[in-house]
Amino acid sequence: MNSASRGRMPQVKIIAKNFMDMVASLPAMKLDKLYENAFICGAILRSLPPLAKKYVIQMLYIDVPITAKSMEEWVFPDGSSMHRVAIDRLIKLRIFTDTADRRRETTYRINPTFQTNLQKLLTLGEVLPREPMPSDITVRLPSLEDLEVYALEQWECFLLQLINSAQAERPSNISSSMMRILQRGLLSQREKGAPRLTESVFQFLLMDTNAQLWYIIREYISNSEERDVDPADLISFLLELSCHVTGKAYNSNTLTEIQKSWIKDLTDLGLVKLQQGMNESWFIPTKLATNLSVCLTDSSSRKQGFVVVETNFRLYAYSTSKLHCEILRLFSRIEYQLPNLIVGAITKESLYNAFENGIAAEQIITFLQQNSHPRVAERMPSIPENVTDQIRLWESDLNRVEMTPAHYYDEFPSRDVFEAACDYAREWNGLLWEDSKTMRLVVKAEIHMHMREHLRRQK
Amino acid sequence: MGHGEKGRQFKRLKSSAKEDHRKIVEDEDAYFGEEGDDDRPDDGKKRDFSKLELKPDHPNRPLWACADGRIFLETFSTLYKQAYDFLIAIAEPVCRPESMHEYNLTPHSLYAAVSVGLETETIIAVLNKLSKTKLPKEMVDFIHSSTANYGKVKLVLKKNKYFVESPFPEVLKKLLNDGNIAKARINPEGSNGTDGFTISKSMGEIGTGHEDLLNQAEVAAAAEEKETHAFEIDPSQVENVKQRCLPNALNYPMLEEYDFRNDTVNPDLDIELKPHAQPRPYQEKSLSKMFGNGRARSGIIVLPCGAGKSLVGVSAASRIKKSCLCLATNAVSVDQWAFQFSLWSNIREDQICRFTSDSKERFRGNAGVVVTTYNMVAFGGKRSEESEKIIEEIRNREWGLLLMDEVHVVPAHMFRKVISITKSHCKLGLTATLVREDERITDLNFLIGPKLYEANWLDLVKGGFIANVQCAEVWCPMTKEFFAEYLKKENSKKKQALYVMNPNKFRACEFLIRFHEQQRGDKIIVFADNLFALTEYAMKLRKPMIYGATSHVERTKILQAFKTSKEVNTIFLSKVGDNSIDIPEANVIIQISSHAGSRRQEAQRLGRILRAKGKIQDRMPGGKEEYNAFFYSLVSTDTQEMYYSTKRQQFLIDQGYSFKVITSLPPPDTGADLSYHSLEEQLALLGKVLSAGDDAVGLEQLEEDADDIALHKARRSMGSMSAMSGANGMVYMEYSTGRNKGMKNKPKEQAKRHYLFKRRFT
Repeated sequence: MNSASRGRMPQVKIIAKNFMDMVASLPAMKLDKLYENAFICGAILRSLPPLAKKYVIQMLYIDVPITAKSMEEWVFPDGSSMHRVAIDRLIKLRIFTDTADRRRETTYRINPTFQTNLQKLLTLGEVLPREPMPSDITVRLPSLEDLEVYALEQWECFLLQLINSAQAERPSNISSSMMRILQRGLLSQREKGAPRLTESVFQFLLMDTNAQLWYIIREYISNSEERDVDPADLISFLLELSCHVTGKAYNSNTLTEIQKSWIKDLTDLGLVKLQQGMNESWFIPTKLATNLSVCLTDSSSRKQGFVVVETNFRLYAYSTSKLHCEILRLFSRIEYQLPNLIVGAITKESLYNAFENGIAAEQIITFLQQNSHPRVAERMPSIPENVTDQIRLWESDLNRVEMTPAHYYDEFPSRDVFEAACDYAREWNGLLWEDSKTMRLVVKAEIHMHMREHLRRQK
Repeated sequence: MGHGEKGRQFKRLKSSAKEDHRKIVEDEDAYFGEEGDDDRPDDGKKRDFSKLELKPDHPNRPLWACADGRIFLETFSTLYKQAYDFLIAIAEPVCRPESMHEYNLTPHSLYAAVSVGLETETIIAVLNKLSKTKLPKEMVDFIHSSTANYGKVKLVLKKNKYFVESPFPEVLKKLLNDGNIAKARINPEGSNGTDGFTISKSMGEIGTGHEDLLNQAEVAAAAEEKETHAFEIDPSQVENVKQRCLPNALNYPMLEEYDFRNDTVNPDLDIELKPHAQPRPYQEKSLSKMFGNGRARSGIIVLPCGAGKSLVGVSAASRIKKSCLCLATNAVSVDQWAFQFSLWSNIREDQICRFTSDSKERFRGNAGVVVTTYNMVAFGGKRSEESEKIIEEIRNREWGLLLMDEVHVVPAHMFRKVISITKSHCKLGLTATLVREDERITDLNFLIGPKLYEANWLDLVKGGFIANVQCAEVWCPMTKEFFAEYLKKENSKKKQALYVMNPNKFRACEFLIRFHEQQRGDKIIVFADNLFALTEYAMKLRKPMIYGATSHVERTKILQAFKTSKEVNTIFLSKVGDNSIDIPEANVIIQISSHAGSRRQEAQRLGRILRAKGKIQDRMPGGKEEYNAFFYSLVSTDTQEMYYSTKRQQFLIDQGYSFKVITSLPPPDTGADLSYHSLEEQLALLGKVLSAGDDAVGLEQLEEDADDIALHKARRSMGSMSAMSGANGMVYMEYSTGRNKGMKNKPKEQAKRHYLFKRRFT
């Protein structure tokens, strides 16, 4: 997640790393292999921060190493932090390699494979991995709007399966083993019964679509080895896919067998749409796919708010989405479902349920605030104060009890021993409770050993 | 243990508190029919109507209608005002906060709708027009079946002859098949035709306010003159005929209408509203429901306290212009009603008489207004000769209007008695809090008439007609010592005293009184149901108090001082102050103890400060003083009070009020100068509570006397748990008819209930 959206959601602990971070984490050999593809070099270049981009262009036709010192002189002193970030990025992606020269001075040079391929790209023009199919074969292509609706629907359907599997088994196109992998960070498996939602799920659901996508794709990639898939191949393919044009049809027979199986998974996520013609089949990348290599998560694409919360703890959500319904069900009691409205109530019971699942009051409030219906969003506060107060109070009500590990002593042989023991515990600042009438005593667990020693000495 | 022990205590408290709650809840069930939990479906019964078909232009339409009768209304829709007026006429409001209202269609509400002249097809047409989706078939069927019989038959008193009237001759025929009704019929001489019904034209409904939602043809149909058929019945058989028509017999409940313009037998009363008496829009609307077709309908009008119910009553009397009998709950409000009549109308002083145990005035002339109490009329014991004469007069007279105040507090048997004793052409009931789902609504519906109008509290606040109240729930943690005692089994009868006398609560109360008296110059009422606490608080803080045993003279004196003196800014009231004592000066309420989970009491108490004060523009959002009235409810945390408090607030919350929770009063760094600061003082107080007899710490018990329903004499009673909770208190007794009979009888009672009032779609 970028810093802007992190600022909005201070609570989020799951951070969906940038796709490029994943690329950067590949071993050197794999990276070099990746750069054999000219269009991937182009995609990587596009994803770089502006200053890094500039450095790459600047160094593109320089074949000798440049000292770090002289590079530092390229920027004003106040830009030095940006400079460091840019260099760091380039090193991590192995676009630059650093070496120490004879005078032990750090020097940088551009990765030769990357350099050659990028030069080629610039001189020969962009070569797409594959060409779109002619439109006379691909009839009835969806419009861009339809495609976006489709993508979001697919994505939502996937999310629903992701969280709902904790509540009920539902048929899913994604193999269950795959689903389990994706759920790994979100659901905690219990010894008995269905897996339980963790607080991460809620944090996850709070993220915007792009951030969620990063998270899932990352899981998908980082577990690829378990499926005997080379992550580099997968990353390379995803990068390839991100270079395609949204809404155009690409022939499926240009794909290898393994790529075809990936495409199937990606269809379920809404990254591509598959269509079958008379003789041929093709896939159409959606916006979700082509956005993959874009460096920033697009916060302007935030969906319009839909929730109205009233002072009487009633909750009205203008939504047709089953996913919204499931999200709301995490902390409220759903009472009515209408064609375009979900009616619920925030109750003490529903909140206790949420708290038990590790969802924090603050997360719920943030969710409600961020998704306020435009009707109430301008109102300050958008969620009635008495409701937010009460949600916090109910939470703090549960946190009143403080646990202190302790040890219990009784059957003291005499009052003297009992009182000495009390004094001893007091000295150690570990006396929690005493009842002198019946000579019983509770001390903090941490002084138990000392206490035992003390009592032994008394004997 | 240590902290662990604390945790356990908490748990133990929870379970023991639960048991007690259950006990009280049972009592409460008898009171309210438990609305809060029942009509809100739980997850298991959640309703999925997502398959309803949305109309293409649904964003322009304001409501959703569900098959189970629930209706959701967007208040920000451009059609809101029209839709609201319509819904309030046909459905029961469930909650009305800012953005979204919820209503329920019930047999009662539809009965009310047809009785104000809405026809089945009109209801369906308008509802369909407003709905975002196609109307569910179940709802259409429900409207049809609920309205099939209602509103078809009217009982009209014309020229002192009783007529059973209906636009549907076949319905009249059906009625006449009943032996009793046939016997009661007076056959007109020389009647021709097979049925012999008198046929006349009557005026159609005008100005229902829903015209703009109907097309012209539909409006024309509604307003067109209708042919009505009628037959006359024997006046002595009227009650009998009415009985036969009730839902448990022929099921054509009769609407009562009074054609007062054509009543030439009863003398006219010279009464006009004074020019300065300008009914506000909502008062006008409620009157138009009553007089919609040129006759006077019987029914109930629901307006919040302070919204000017009395002007509605006086206006109704001055439209009918016949003798009026006005019934109030106690002597104080009898005085207030008499005053309202002379304030708003030009009626001559000698035409208003008050009839109470202290004041027995008789009016001269042949028409007038008599203001008295329910008890004076229904009183069964021996009366003085003078009273007997007056009561005889009341009995013999034909009243044009029977005006009944605070109908929600009057027990049904008393209504029956009053209505059987007095002969009236039209009955108008007024109330602020018709808590729904209570069993008594059935009684009210058929004894008085349907609900004609109910105002929306929030709209009145927005319109500046009633005060904008800031409500707060103040959480007062129990002190360690009080809590320890509270948890002890042997103190089960002192629980209430312990949580009310919680020193932290006392200090919060003292802090609030000081703050409002000194910083804002407010006038404060402190309410306490617990007499022990009332006395302790009032004595310690040196403030005057009024409770059941306070004499009429002393009450008047204290109230007068509160109104006029700069020295007296705070008074302590027991529950005698809940209803109908008009204290317009007060703008702050602090509630330190209350009647268990009574939603109505909470609303009534809030009503004490609803009368709008100050300039309207100051009270608007962003004005100088957006809130200038304050309602504090002080609760001791971790005690039963917390549970009750949530229940009590439900009615107000449904009206759109919100309670802000305040957790630290007095603020942490202050309060050294407040009472019970030191542990010794607190322990002394604890000793006092514990040493007081169980009977001393119970609730105030009010007995009946000739005037009041909430009475003069108080007795301190044994504090059984139900008594502590106030379940035995007379004022809130009226629902608890099933209580003495024990739980076994309850199901039977429900079975007895008419099918119309069993919950549908369960």
